[in-house]
Amino acid sequence: MQTIYVDNNATTQVAQEVYEVMLPYLTSDYFNPSSMYEQARGASTAVSKARATIAGFLGGIHPDEILFTSCATESNNAAIFGVASANPNRRHVMTTAVEHPAVLEVCLELERRGFEVTFLPVDTSGNLDVGGFVRALRPDTLLVSIMHANNETGVIFPVEELSRICKETDPSIIFHTDATQSLGKLPIDLRGAFRHVDLLSFSGHKLHAPKGVGALYVKRDTCWHPFMMGGHQEKGRRAGTENVPYVVGLEKACELAFQNREADYERVGKLRDRLAQALQEMIPCLQVNGRDAPRLHTTLNLACHYVEGEGILYQLSAHGICASSGSACTSGSLKPSHVLRAMKVPFTAVHGSVRFSLSRYNTEQEIERIIEVFPRIVSNLRKLSPYWDDRNNRPRPEAKELENR
Amino acid sequence: MAWEYSEKTKQLFTDAVQGKPGTHLGEIENPDGLGEHGSITCGDALRFTFRVRRHQTDPTQDVITEARYLTFGCTSAIAASEALCLMVEDGDYTPIGALKITNADIVDFLDGLPEQKIHCSVMGAEALRAAVFNWAQKRGVDLKKLGVDIQPEEQQDGRVVCQCFGLTEPYLRRKIKELNLHTIPQISNAIKAGGACMSCHHTPGGLQDILDDIWGPEESAAASAPALPDGKGAVSESDAQISPYQFSKKVEKVIEEHVRPMLQRDGGDLEIVDIKDTAVYCRLVGACATCAVAGTTMKLLVEQALKDHVDERIRVIAV
Repeated sequence: MQTIYVDNNATTQVAQEVYEVMLPYLTSDYFNPSSMYEQARGASTAVSKARATIAGFLGGIHPDEILFTSCATESNNAAIFGVASANPNRRHVMTTAVEHPAVLEVCLELERRGFEVTFLPVDTSGNLDVGGFVRALRPDTLLVSIMHANNETGVIFPVEELSRICKETDPSIIFHTDATQSLGKLPIDLRGAFRHVDLLSFSGHKLHAPKGVGALYVKRDTCWHPFMMGGHQEKGRRAGTENVPYVVGLEKACELAFQNREADYERVGKLRDRLAQALQEMIPCLQVNGRDAPRLHTTLNLACHYVEGEGILYQLSAHGICASSGSACTSGSLKPSHVLRAMKVPFTAVHGSVRFSLSRYNTEQEIERIIEVFPRIVSNLRKLSPYWDDRNNRPRPEAKELENR
Repeated sequence: MAWEYSEKTKQLFTDAVQGKPGTHLGEIENPDGLGEHGSITCGDALRFTFRVRRHQTDPTQDVITEARYLTFGCTSAIAASEALCLMVEDGDYTPIGALKITNADIVDFLDGLPEQKIHCSVMGAEALRAAVFNWAQKRGVDLKKLGVDIQPEEQQDGRVVCQCFGLTEPYLRRKIKELNLHTIPQISNAIKAGGACMSCHHTPGGLQDILDDIWGPEESAAASAPALPDGKGAVSESDAQISPYQFSKKVEKVIEEHVRPMLQRDGGDLEIVDIKDTAVYCRLVGACATCAVAGTTMKLLVEQALKDHVDERIRVIAV
């Protein structure tokens, strides 16, 4: 059976081109870039070149402003804890209720360490209220950490605007953004529209590089303290031997993403729109989460009312289709998605949410195949559901009331 | 997270969703027994109905002939419902006899369930209990007299311990003893209590206190992970140190007199979003919002007017 992979916000397949440029650094050029002998020069040059290439793609920032890390989670930890430990005088941190756990949990840890954290709410479309954001800024605000694009819904926050408002309010407020889902998909110019951003995290495995490599942008003169100690690498700001093959892979992956960005945006966006439109036409009581907000062109998060997401995923996987859900049953915690709950998606649908996330490797045929099987999967489960009137293909009247819970 | 389901579980689920003959999807009209457990807010719910062959004189001799379910839930919840109906129908049980079927029997029937999914089998057993209670009411059978202890009111009357799933203390106490649960993770896996926001783990009268009370405090449970910040949406205010009333009035007056007339002439307007100290947050609306020189308007017109008439230190920030 052919695999149809539409879970690219979870991870992506490694691009063939990426794999190929990595190989020599695993086999012949395996040296430690810090070593003195001539043989190690190749590895050392490769890391510098990768740094310069990526700096170029991000708007021509200085290469030293890029630190290589092991993943976006590390980058987020380093960014937030690094700012907190370097600025003991300010005690207020702002973030949103819909961040990835790699930011949310770190902010909760700051709270336990005596910081005050404001978790900004979102509305039912997933948008932040800019007025609320402004009102939450305080004279002792140290750090604002707001993601660029949401991993579950694809909703895009206006990071350019929010970071500018912060800096115009008080240049000492440090602005961090987790750009893991948006880098390579949306334009990010750290010398242009994003110039007010001080720290930016991303990882390789969301853009067709392997797992195990990420990066953190730290703007020059940002009051920030290194998180990982124990070596002179990355100018002492991130100790640990450079992961040469993966860094080279990340460079190649960024190159592919940035060079094809506009073409991919157009083509993948069309596939996503086709999928959304067809499924909405064919399935009653189906909504697109975040439909009224600007969203990533790759992400489609559906709320299928009155069915449970795990049963959907299980049947999808029987057709070789890999997707994910915000249902409690798939989270391992019995708790449905905090993102969808923050958007007040009704309980009748939050358990039945399904996320399709596309990449440049998805084809039209794959999308047509999903359109072919998905409606039947939902109707199969609705037949079983105590909240669905199968004869009339609509929810039972008493179930309708639950939507407002 | 991929769940490890047994072949039996997968087969029952697949047969059910495809509506194969011999599966038990559906609802019996005018059933002799109807029981429900769970709710859509909790992520799974089961409506279980059965029909009996009525005994002429002695209702306790009724025999269950047919069982059906409607289930909102995951793969294992649907498989467990199917298993329950199969077991109930195959045993020629009287309703009271059917109470012998426990959640452990359902788990065995399914050739095991992942630990985090045990609650699916518990849901089956609970719905069966509720249906038998319903049957007894309809048939005028006094369960207490027969030594059968079902207290459906325990869910209505008791103190709610787990807010997320609406579970009460009497219910929790019964299930903790019945299922021999000794730690909080075991409770969450079996009956979901404490599995979501986790705030009931260590509060006074919470899960740990109930466990300590039942098993003694030595049997300490594993520490729980921190909770996610649900309901933390509230934005904290701290405008206390500035006294902005007169200042704001002045800002508004200047905008009313010097700025608005000019903007309105061009079909636009200005909205003040907030004022903090000397920072004035404004938004251009109408025709001005999309105007190519919006940035210049803010600086030259709005900010300058406020600097001239209110305070030299004022900064205008566009939002």
